[in-house]
Amino acid sequence: MRTPPGEYFLQGNEACVEGAMTAGVRFFAGYPITPSTEIAEGLSHRLTGKNGVFLQMEDEIACISAVVGASWGGVKSMTATSGPGFSLMQEAIGYAAMSETPIVIVNVMRGGPSTGQPTRASQGDVMQTKYGSHGDYQVIAFAPASVQEMFDLTIDSFNYAEKYRVPAFLLSDAEVGHMRGLLKVPETVNIVDRKEKGLKRPDEAYDVPDELVRPFPTFGKGHRTMVTGMTHTDTNRIEPEDTKVHTELVRRLSEKVLKNRKDINKWELMCPDSKTMIISYGSAALGAKEIAARDETVGLLRLKSLWPFPEEPVYEVAKKASRILVCEMNLGMMYWEIKRVALEAGCRNVELLSKIGGEPPTPSEVRHKLRSMGAT
Amino acid sequence: MDIFEFYRKDRWPHVFCPGCGNGTVMNCFYRAFNEVGLPLDGTVFVGGIGCSSRVPLYINSDALHTTHGRAIAFATGLKLSRPELKVVVFTGDGDLGAIGGNHFINGCRRNVDMTVVCINNNIYGMTGGQASITTPHDYLSTTTPMGNKEYPFDLSEIAVAAGANYVARWTTRHVHELTRSLKTALQKKGFTFVEVVSQCPTNFGRRNKMADPTAMLEWFKESSVRRDKSKTAAADHADLNIAGQVTIGEFVDRNRECYEELIGVEKHG
Amino acid sequence: MKPVINLKLCKGCNICVYICPKKCYTRGADISEMGYFAAVVSSPEKCYNHNREGKLICELCVLSCPDQAISWHPETEEEKKK
Repeated sequence: MRTPPGEYFLQGNEACVEGAMTAGVRFFAGYPITPSTEIAEGLSHRLTGKNGVFLQMEDEIACISAVVGASWGGVKSMTATSGPGFSLMQEAIGYAAMSETPIVIVNVMRGGPSTGQPTRASQGDVMQTKYGSHGDYQVIAFAPASVQEMFDLTIDSFNYAEKYRVPAFLLSDAEVGHMRGLLKVPETVNIVDRKEKGLKRPDEAYDVPDELVRPFPTFGKGHRTMVTGMTHTDTNRIEPEDTKVHTELVRRLSEKVLKNRKDINKWELMCPDSKTMIISYGSAALGAKEIAARDETVGLLRLKSLWPFPEEPVYEVAKKASRILVCEMNLGMMYWEIKRVALEAGCRNVELLSKIGGEPPTPSEVRHKLRSMGAT
Repeated sequence: MDIFEFYRKDRWPHVFCPGCGNGTVMNCFYRAFNEVGLPLDGTVFVGGIGCSSRVPLYINSDALHTTHGRAIAFATGLKLSRPELKVVVFTGDGDLGAIGGNHFINGCRRNVDMTVVCINNNIYGMTGGQASITTPHDYLSTTTPMGNKEYPFDLSEIAVAAGANYVARWTTRHVHELTRSLKTALQKKGFTFVEVVSQCPTNFGRRNKMADPTAMLEWFKESSVRRDKSKTAAADHADLNIAGQVTIGEFVDRNRECYEELIGVEKHG
Repeated sequence: MKPVINLKLCKGCNICVYICPKKCYTRGADISEMGYFAAVVSSPEKCYNHNREGKLICELCVLSCPDQAISWHPETEEEKKK
């Protein structure tokens, strides 16, 4: 039941609900946790009867497990949580990566570690999104910074999860989740469905070769699929002792995402040739955006996707910049990845404006930091 | 259907130890499934982690081998996304009652239409024989070398209290009764739970003076009491699992509405 | 029908020897090709299903065998006479 085209004034979390419904979600399992609860509540209204299934499960581990199970039934499924719940979900996220199950997890980040600041924003889970579960795997993650992007990037999360058979994450935070703003829903929205085994599909969405992303063998269609978290072969034989099988499998899980970075990565670029560049994402970019909008000498690379790490746009910007300021609402997480790429590109002056405590960096804090770096 | 149409013949002989009760349960399950006449293509099997949870991977149908303790949660999502499919869960005592305890009790309470077969061997067998939440008091295991100081759960009583529609417990010594119970469980709407007390001669029996699987079967015979002849275990607070007595029988057979009916999702027809 | 043990599957657990109410099985003394002391069908004529076609009774051995190693086979004329 997609959202009718038009303009709406909505809360960020509500826009996420609209995005999920437009993308075709039919299964949601959630657990109440501030500041994501509105997503569960919204979907409890919408996923009724023939529209789909809403479940409030006994804990977050049950939620993520049910979401993976539902995906094997062939439906688009998602959950929404915040830091403490996100930590609980990590084992099943690794399972989804290993079993190549398309799922969407919304993490409305709040102050951490632990119970932290339930009603305040942070960006403290961005590394955990990629490295939270044990072992080597790749994920896709988007960072919205507005109500519109809560809608758009939720749809993108579903599309990419379906296309690459990976867990996809929407990394929102308490500010973006609870802010109210304008949502414009267009007439046509691009929706991607998984390539199901045994079904003929149009080609444009499937420019990913079968060797990298196997067609999805939905349950209950006679495929006699064996799905497991153990090391397995293409014919789903369980071979945990086989070095070659494990190597091939885990490398392919990585490659299918990394090789398609150009397809997945999204960003916004203001004043691309500036010598002074700010690189930021989510709420942390809002203050920087004000600065870049008013000052032609300051550019902004606002990352809309965080994983796989957008090497190329960062590199391009770092080639021309003489100083880069990374703004984050944590003690430095994406900073290290950005700095690595910037150094490769020849920009040695990479600094961090790290703001924790719950509020995004203000424009004057950004200006102050830029001055201390020798800009303006 | 022949047993090796039901099971994946190319995976035989299976990895279970000589004398393992899992194989016995597989026979009874196959018989029950065959006699009930459910379509194999319309049935999906879910398992957690452990020896018993590997049974779904031996069946010639869709199988979901999940994470430790979470089989019922995965099965809930799978079943509700495709209510027309029959879902059967194979799990073990530790997988279900320890790490999976929360999902077990909420699964019974929610009463989603699925059949859960818990093969209870009173030990964590696959990892080498550590004590489980059904290991009897004083018994030896690799983590209770001086005897188990804890008292065990009665998984069937928990299922009854939590609201499952059908609960039965048998042992691998009672193959005919087990087969009949599995038939009932497969055909009944709602959360149906069959616990099978089963032998693990390698990692439980061997450390407790019952290395021979037939010794364990004799022990099941000696210590099992039909439920109608004994008191309700919960009221008694007795050490009710194995060392004293194992109550066997059909514990409850009721008709609480299953979850699909409660949320108005199209059911299997 | 008579019970037959598939020596490729039998792991020599001897549950059949223990469970059979008519003592049709005995513990094996020889190592099979799979490396186990496989059980032996020593007295199939004592089985409840001896000279029985159609619906079989008992079947405790088939149901109990953990390795699915026992199956029913038709008896030869010679065997039926025992």
